[in-house]
Amino acid sequence: MQEFLQQVVSGIASGGIFASLALALVLIYNAMGLVNFAQGEMAMFATFVAFTLIDRGMSYWIALPLTLVIAFAGGVLIQRAVIRPVERAPVLTLVIVTLGLATLINGLAGFLFGYVPRSFPSPFSVHTVSVLGALVSYRDLGVIAVSAIVLVLIYLLLQRTTLGLTMRAAAHNPDASRLLGVRVSWMLALGWGLASAVGALSGIMVAPILLLEPNMMQTIIIYAFAAAVLGGIESPLGAVVGGLIVGITVNLAGAYLVGGDLQLAIAFLIIVAVLVVKPNGLFGRPSVRRV
Amino acid sequence: MELLEIEEVRAGYGPTQVLHGVSLAVAEGEIVSLLGANGAGKTTTLRAICGGVRWDGAIRLSGRSLRRMSTEDIVRSGVAHVPEGRGILTDLTVAENLRLGEHLRRDRSQVRKDYDRVFEYFPILRERRSLSASTLSGGEQQMLAVARALLMRPRLMLLDEPSLGLAPLVVKSIFDIIRDINHTDRVGVLLVEQNARLALELSTHAYVLEVGRVAVTGLSADLKGDDSVRRSYLGY
Repeated sequence: MQEFLQQVVSGIASGGIFASLALALVLIYNAMGLVNFAQGEMAMFATFVAFTLIDRGMSYWIALPLTLVIAFAGGVLIQRAVIRPVERAPVLTLVIVTLGLATLINGLAGFLFGYVPRSFPSPFSVHTVSVLGALVSYRDLGVIAVSAIVLVLIYLLLQRTTLGLTMRAAAHNPDASRLLGVRVSWMLALGWGLASAVGALSGIMVAPILLLEPNMMQTIIIYAFAAAVLGGIESPLGAVVGGLIVGITVNLAGAYLVGGDLQLAIAFLIIVAVLVVKPNGLFGRPSVRRV
Repeated sequence: MELLEIEEVRAGYGPTQVLHGVSLAVAEGEIVSLLGANGAGKTTTLRAICGGVRWDGAIRLSGRSLRRMSTEDIVRSGVAHVPEGRGILTDLTVAENLRLGEHLRRDRSQVRKDYDRVFEYFPILRERRSLSASTLSGGEQQMLAVARALLMRPRLMLLDEPSLGLAPLVVKSIFDIIRDINHTDRVGVLLVEQNARLALELSTHAYVLEVGRVAVTGLSADLKGDDSVRRSYLGY
């Protein structure tokens, strides 16, 4: 029982990481009707930025917000420079563009930082503390706390501010939003910025566990896809709930069912199962609407 | 001073030209009807004003050319367009839709008064404000669209078939409110309508479009009284 509880807490910690990246996918899906295949690589690159800052002697707690700001600016820049020119292109073109972006960023990271895995610092110790009888590491608790804070902040931004309202409006109905004076194109760019920042957070959270190298996010992005699909690809709340469910499921399956090697297969199983049984996910709306 | 001037505007979609040189004007505080059969170019005229379709010719708002302006900037300079299909954001709540109407305004105390007025006109919107706009009936969505346009405090309102698909009583109350908004706020209104009889009662001037050109124009009262115009163009 105690070990089970430990696995659940550690699943929640992974879930927070998956949820952050899944939320990034959802934000961009809402903005352009397409999954951004470069999301993981963008997060990895931002993590290298954080690594460089910390390596040069900057404190972790300054480097973290600074990296998120840089990632935000990078996301806006990518939208303006790369995505906007092909905004109205067919979906396949956009898929190829984001795949190309993923390859480009991956190669650029390898070129700039090399492929040697580096250990990434965590501000939280790996020592454990007893929570309800289970031994839980400070690192897991820290990851849970940081993810929770950022997810709540993003929720508040989207649901409680005028900026968030205009971002949602621009993503869901660009034509009607323009007629209300919303600068749709910039709102979509801000969506990219926000997604890039929250994705960067997942990279920074996962790096101390996985070691930092250019391919670090390639499994994490699969878990994030699973989380986003499970939650309903359009729903930010769904991404968070999906992230937690995937995190806990994968952790428990890894511990009791299939072992570490097949954990990724579980994620694929979730994706396929959702697409077959409930294609709109837990929080997604059916695409048929009353007119 | 004319609020809106359109001169020899040609517009279309791709290779299909819809407007073949339309000219019309709306004075400040005036209601003008734009009538005509389906496909005559009424909706395209409104779209051209809001930058939703490419056009040639001249379109001016208070003397200032709208050429090459984005839809957002045209709206920000005082044009509220209630489009065909009403432009309701069905993913958002009623309150959020209204908020989007006034989100650019800085005169908060006046905005509060405008909300009072909107809810006086349309009490149902106050009741339903926390519900998703997708749950509203067609008539309620039209009320929401007009209410939202009012909250924008525009100088010019473009209304595309506000009576479409609505029960006669609802249509009457919406037209009464349009008249009231026009009267109290001196908002210019360009009204596109299938229901010519209703539109001519509300407006002072009217234009009848036929395949992308102005076929008849004049005072609404004159057009209403002219049997041949009524029979050939207005169909009642």
